[in-house]
Amino acid sequence: MIDFTNVIKAYPNGTVALNGVNLHIDDGEFVFVVGATGAGKTTLMKLLLREEKATSGTVVVDNTDLSKLSYLRVPHYRRKLGIVFQDFRLFPKKTVYENVAFAMQVVGVPNKKIKKRVPALLNTVSLGDKSNCFPNELSGGEQQRVALARALANNPKIIIADEPTGNIDPKMSLEIMNLLVKINKLGKTVLVVTHEKNLVDYYQQRVIMIDGGVVSDDRVGGMFE
Amino acid sequence: MKQYKFSYFFGQAVRGLWRNGVMSFASIAVLMSCLIVLGSFTMLVANINVNLDELGLQNEIMVFVEPDLTDDELLRVEQMIRNISYVGEVRHITKDEALDYMIEQVGEENRDLYEAYRDDNPLSDSFEITNIDGAHYTDVTYSLSQIEGIRKTRDQRALANMMQSLKNGVTLIFSWFLVILFVVSVFVIINTVKLSVYSRKNEIVVMRYIGATGLFIALPFIIEGAMIGLVSSMIAYLLENVLYGYIQSSVSDIVSIIHIIPLSDVRLTMFFGFAAVGILTGVIGSAISISKYTRN
Repeated sequence: MIDFTNVIKAYPNGTVALNGVNLHIDDGEFVFVVGATGAGKTTLMKLLLREEKATSGTVVVDNTDLSKLSYLRVPHYRRKLGIVFQDFRLFPKKTVYENVAFAMQVVGVPNKKIKKRVPALLNTVSLGDKSNCFPNELSGGEQQRVALARALANNPKIIIADEPTGNIDPKMSLEIMNLLVKINKLGKTVLVVTHEKNLVDYYQQRVIMIDGGVVSDDRVGGMFE
Repeated sequence: MKQYKFSYFFGQAVRGLWRNGVMSFASIAVLMSCLIVLGSFTMLVANINVNLDELGLQNEIMVFVEPDLTDDELLRVEQMIRNISYVGEVRHITKDEALDYMIEQVGEENRDLYEAYRDDNPLSDSFEITNIDGAHYTDVTYSLSQIEGIRKTRDQRALANMMQSLKNGVTLIFSWFLVILFVVSVFVIINTVKLSVYSRKNEIVVMRYIGATGLFIALPFIIEGAMIGLVSSMIAYLLENVLYGYIQSSVSDIVSIIHIIPLSDVRLTMFFGFAAVGILTGVIGSAISISKYTRN
């Protein structure tokens, strides 16, 4: 469950990025977050990742009040989230297998468990046969699938995808979106930040529109504009 | 993190050192120079201290009496010396003991020459006054000059003062020199590790989002800094050994009265001292570089 209550975020230079955001996302929902550049989407993500703190108001994720979260607990909180970036951010010198395994190693998962889980994750994203490839040997879509497998590695409750189809062709975009829907059906809450009108309309899910630092529209069933 | 092998952190640290070879080399060179200066300075001061102590320069006066004093007169002089305030211990050295000491100093080969004086000893009895209260040194010398039967007194205050000021001067100059060198060392290490951090910037961002703790992210860089410190200190230790050994043999050949602390006495302390200062400097430098990236 994600709850934003009267959230205001002002940066030290005076920019007010969010100006009273209220929204509620239930466990297991699939949500698109849309809005023009500078509307406040990135700030919303930064608050969710606890990269920034709200100036006022509260952000509660999975019963954790992020404004009260101590510095030392932030890494542990982030393990509840799986992040997918527009530019994939894979480690170029690690193989597909190692990229996914690394996410588990970082949080101290035993090697035995890693060896079992990584192949299963790669199968989920249909890359079971590419585990020894390096990222530069894969297409954009395949790299994003590796990133998805990595996001799922620690079994997070929430998947946050920031423009996941921004760097790949339309056909691959559908593949990635289908995977995200599949992941959602496994019980994960999925948040997709995107600009792509066609995708939003195609999937007919809940759409939250941010405009001028507030939620200007929140409806189920697509319809970008 | 406990599941993560040390080899990961160590491997990343070595890779960082290798990737920024020139800067790593510069860091090692600067820190090594700093440690050699530190070691040389410490050894110089330690040697000055040992020589000061050995000579007992600061609080000792030798009193020589007239050669023809009777035993009663000697006793009277001794008593009068003991009665002076601020005088610590008084030891009577007979002229025979003085001759023995002299023979000991000149060595066995000249013994016969000096033994010839045994029956007609030209030396005089003396008193060695030690543990004099330094603040009342002048009062003591004045009181001694008033005692009848004393031929002369000898103290080495001028030499002691000279050595003391030399020590103070050396300490002051080297302390500033050291502070500057350490600041430079830390800055060079900060920049070297910063280059490593920069080349792994994207990786660090991903690690943070995955949920890596600050320690997990920082450890490879801290080890990199510690390795710079360790390598610098080991090279510095080897060079200091060569340098000190050379100085030791040169000084002993030229001026035999100066006592030089043997290298074997300080080797272990020097080894651990260098390693500790080197590693600590490296760790501080890298901790400063990485601190920005481990914050959330």
